[in-house]
Amino acid sequence: MEQVLFRHNRPGRVVTFKEYCDEGGFNALRKAISEMTPNEVQQAVIDSGLRGRGGAGFSTGRKWSFVPRDLPGPRWLICNCDEMEPGTYKDRVLLEHNPYSLIEGVTLACYALGVRHAFIFIRRGYEKAANNLAQGLIEAKEAGLLGKRILASEFSVDIDLHLSAGRYICGEETALINALEGKRPNPRSKPPFPATKGLWGGPTVVNNVETLANVPAIIAKGPGWFKGLARNAEGAGMKLFCVSGAVKNRVCVELPTGTTLREIIDGPCGGMKPGTKFKACIPGGASTQFLTPEHLDVPMDYDTVAKVGSRLGSGAIIVFEEGCCLVAATLNLITFFARESCGWCTPCREGLPFVKEVLTRIEAGAGEERDIEILREHVKYLNYTFCALAPGAMAPLDGLLRHFEAELREHIVQRKCPFK
Amino acid sequence: MPKLIIDNLPVEVAPGTTVLEAARSVGITIPHFCYHPALALASACRLCAVKMLDGPVKGIQMSCSLPAQDGMVVSTTDPEALKMRALVIEWLMINHPHDCPVCDEGGECLLQDFTIAGGHSRRRYQGDKRTHRNQYLGEHIYHEMNRCIQCYRCVRFYQDYAGGTDFGVTGSAGRVYFGRFEDGPLESPFSGNLVDICPTGVFTDKTGRFRARYWDYQFAPSVCQHCSVGCNLAPQVFQREVIKIVGRRNDQVNSWFICDRARFDKKGINDPSRPRAPRVDGEATDYEAALDALAARIYDFVEVHGPESLAFVGSSRLSLEGCLMLGELVANFDAASLSFYGDPAEAKGSQLATELLSGENVAAPADLASADCIVLLSVDLMNEGPMLAPFIRKAWLGGTKVYRIADPALLSGQQLPFDCIEAATLAEVPLEQASRAIVVCHATRTPREELSDVAATGARLAMLQPGPNGFGAALVAREHGARPFDELLAARKVRGIVAFESDLPVANLKGITVLGCADWQATELSQKAGVFLPTTTWMESTGTSINFEGRAQRFERAFRPGYPLKGLDAKYYAQSRYGEPAPGQPKTPPPQPPRIPRGEIPGGQEIEAWKAMARLLEKLGGELIVEPLTGSWQPLRDIDPEAGGERIFSLFKSSEPDTL
Repeated sequence: MEQVLFRHNRPGRVVTFKEYCDEGGFNALRKAISEMTPNEVQQAVIDSGLRGRGGAGFSTGRKWSFVPRDLPGPRWLICNCDEMEPGTYKDRVLLEHNPYSLIEGVTLACYALGVRHAFIFIRRGYEKAANNLAQGLIEAKEAGLLGKRILASEFSVDIDLHLSAGRYICGEETALINALEGKRPNPRSKPPFPATKGLWGGPTVVNNVETLANVPAIIAKGPGWFKGLARNAEGAGMKLFCVSGAVKNRVCVELPTGTTLREIIDGPCGGMKPGTKFKACIPGGASTQFLTPEHLDVPMDYDTVAKVGSRLGSGAIIVFEEGCCLVAATLNLITFFARESCGWCTPCREGLPFVKEVLTRIEAGAGEERDIEILREHVKYLNYTFCALAPGAMAPLDGLLRHFEAELREHIVQRKCPFK
Repeated sequence: MPKLIIDNLPVEVAPGTTVLEAARSVGITIPHFCYHPALALASACRLCAVKMLDGPVKGIQMSCSLPAQDGMVVSTTDPEALKMRALVIEWLMINHPHDCPVCDEGGECLLQDFTIAGGHSRRRYQGDKRTHRNQYLGEHIYHEMNRCIQCYRCVRFYQDYAGGTDFGVTGSAGRVYFGRFEDGPLESPFSGNLVDICPTGVFTDKTGRFRARYWDYQFAPSVCQHCSVGCNLAPQVFQREVIKIVGRRNDQVNSWFICDRARFDKKGINDPSRPRAPRVDGEATDYEAALDALAARIYDFVEVHGPESLAFVGSSRLSLEGCLMLGELVANFDAASLSFYGDPAEAKGSQLATELLSGENVAAPADLASADCIVLLSVDLMNEGPMLAPFIRKAWLGGTKVYRIADPALLSGQQLPFDCIEAATLAEVPLEQASRAIVVCHATRTPREELSDVAATGARLAMLQPGPNGFGAALVAREHGARPFDELLAARKVRGIVAFESDLPVANLKGITVLGCADWQATELSQKAGVFLPTTTWMESTGTSINFEGRAQRFERAFRPGYPLKGLDAKYYAQSRYGEPAPGQPKTPPPQPPRIPRGEIPGGQEIEAWKAMARLLEKLGGELIVEPLTGSWQPLRDIDPEAGGERIFSLFKSSEPDTL
């Protein structure tokens, strides 16, 4: 199968700069600088149908087009590599094998946006990826592909690698901007959106690693080719899926958008763990709703997954087998979110620990009938928070109530976890 | 002008007004914690939820951060909005200790009000409450972190508004903590406002905790008399003791806040050694007898030495009424002198301010926030007008350059909450390039020529005065031909004085008889006076004072004077809460006042200084004056103490000749 992001990967080690260049690396940058205007680059990304791979799935090219080009002062590009959603590890795999696609993608995005200075905001734990990037930045600079007057053109750009101090909320783009400015990583209110007023008040684009790493291939081979990679008509390009849970092989694979869940599990994952049966899965990281066996043939793309009440998110699939307690699984996720709340707004700061307390009680066999009402209230009213953290945290709980309320009730009736 | 409908009421508001403020304008209070008119939006507490039934946005929205737009239909009572608000309260109550009975905020607590209003009464959360360690924040503010509801008001005030750096927020999620990096006194001279701004009892006033409840207090709109800015405040008085002082809103002068001196310095008013009884030659007597004695002595004195050897001395501590009455007293004698100033520089400076300033070139404190160039000209800002600093900070945050022409004698070592560009002279400041420049200076320090030059550039002046009513005293001084006391001394005519709330140094008075002195402080002059008349403090008086920008402000009597009902309990007074007793005063406080029913208040003979003057004038054969604000001053009678005050320049249209 054609690989885009994993094309240069070498088993067990990082691809070298020379290998990457020999395989056509940085040709997209050469092509853009010599043959295309910044607007043409942006248009190509719009035409390609590339959507934000961090989870929101917003059209990348359109996001770029919101940036006003006539304001005085600098514009900024930030690559969001604060990958911390439970279950998600695609960016780590990508960067541990190949940092150059991202560097080239960031440079191309800067060219399209007229950005002079970009930042890669990377999770503190990703030391190997950070080392690869740091090394890659030096190599690119030495080869004249980064820094002043790239490839002897008028275009210059610097990329800084910023190691995050490490909190989940830093993945929220405005919190990330605050963190980069040296402030507390509390999200900012929107509007104004970062595209008009972001880092140090300047227009700012924040894109995910995978999103930007796709850009070189789009420029090199054209938006039509990229769009055609998808399996479904609405989709575009390839998507990294990182699978964990009750499957035989837990892998991170690059598959065409629109591949069904069944194909992913039965194909690269080698099926379920021997002797287990599929019960449910989370399709796109911890802040998405459960999918059940009836959804196994849903094409994995943004709109198709949304149609069945969940989200493709980051493409991090967590598979649960029959006999696995989903109340405990949800509790585990909520515990994470309750801990990672930034503490700014009341519903998130206080509501998530409330949910955690209720689920803990239910799981321990001390649940009451009215607890289900409490959980429902939280699913509804935790939507009215300052940022998307708490609504995201409520997604698995919403899925639990929607598809597995019987299981939840069983805990309360039996006064114990039925799976223990 | 957006038109919207809130709870079936049509509302029209200025563009940019939020839905919460629009509702407020028609008397609908939407519950809120993090919203504060003086602070930047936080949108953190989520209590102000309303339901948008129609218009550009729909569903549950936070009214504090939603700008009012045409066609909005807002319901503050929709069941969904009510449910959201009830849940927010329930969430906040998960960790709040419910210790209202032992909390000093009880009764004046926004959290109490909105918890009751929100209808939350039963606890559904069954887990533990989180607890915090409290910090020692100095002798003024008590910290009780468990009560915190994380509205972020304190940190937004302390860091953003006041520019403090030693207090902030740490931790995340449920462990968010508002405090200092380590225990220690808060450094900001505006730290006391944390008490006012905290919607619950995290920060309480250590100097007045556990003395009374909110409903016990006597309140009145008052005006601070510590410096010439004239910040609006309200004393909270219980049984004739000032327990706490809180800020009062005046958008032009002090916004919502007051400095720590205004809030915590209650020493002079509660001072146990404050002279309460009239005295004649050191013997306590009643007011009538003392006035009779003083009138007789003045009469005799004038008979013997002639009226030209008598001087009446006031100060800029006197209210405008006091200043005017002093003028009337002097007018009763043909050749007697009037003086408001011991220091000729003070006389000259205050006089200069009245001549130089007009409604056009004077700057109110709030004007500083929108200035495009600010100069601090030989002024010790944090001592002489601290509440100007937050406004200057606001301008500075917006990019305005602040220049400082420092006077080496004035460097107080206090940090300013903004950065200054040091300049040697005014010539170095590009005043001409600015269109809204303001020069902050002190009336006594800068030569007339220099200030005239400044005024000529179109820059406005904020001329701080040496005394709280310096501007008012200067106007009266001009009207009645007052002279600096030094000049009177030099002329060697004056042989006797009658002083009203004057701070004349006694050392200058060799060979001069102090016939009488009226004051509420135990000054040196009062010790030397033949007849002493106690007067009321500004909190016990109704009167008018004029701040440095010519704004006349009315303050009202908060309580009747007299010994505190509780007695001057050693427990409260011995711990140097109000400082050491004055020299010559007993170390132990006066005894508990007798609890026998009678009409008068023990130690409560004090009257306002101007009333003492009026009665003295009557005894000296003049007519009884019951209203000192007459003639061109008459319009000031009707000033509403809660309406922000009035500039007096319109009262004096034509400029009078220099009488100094």
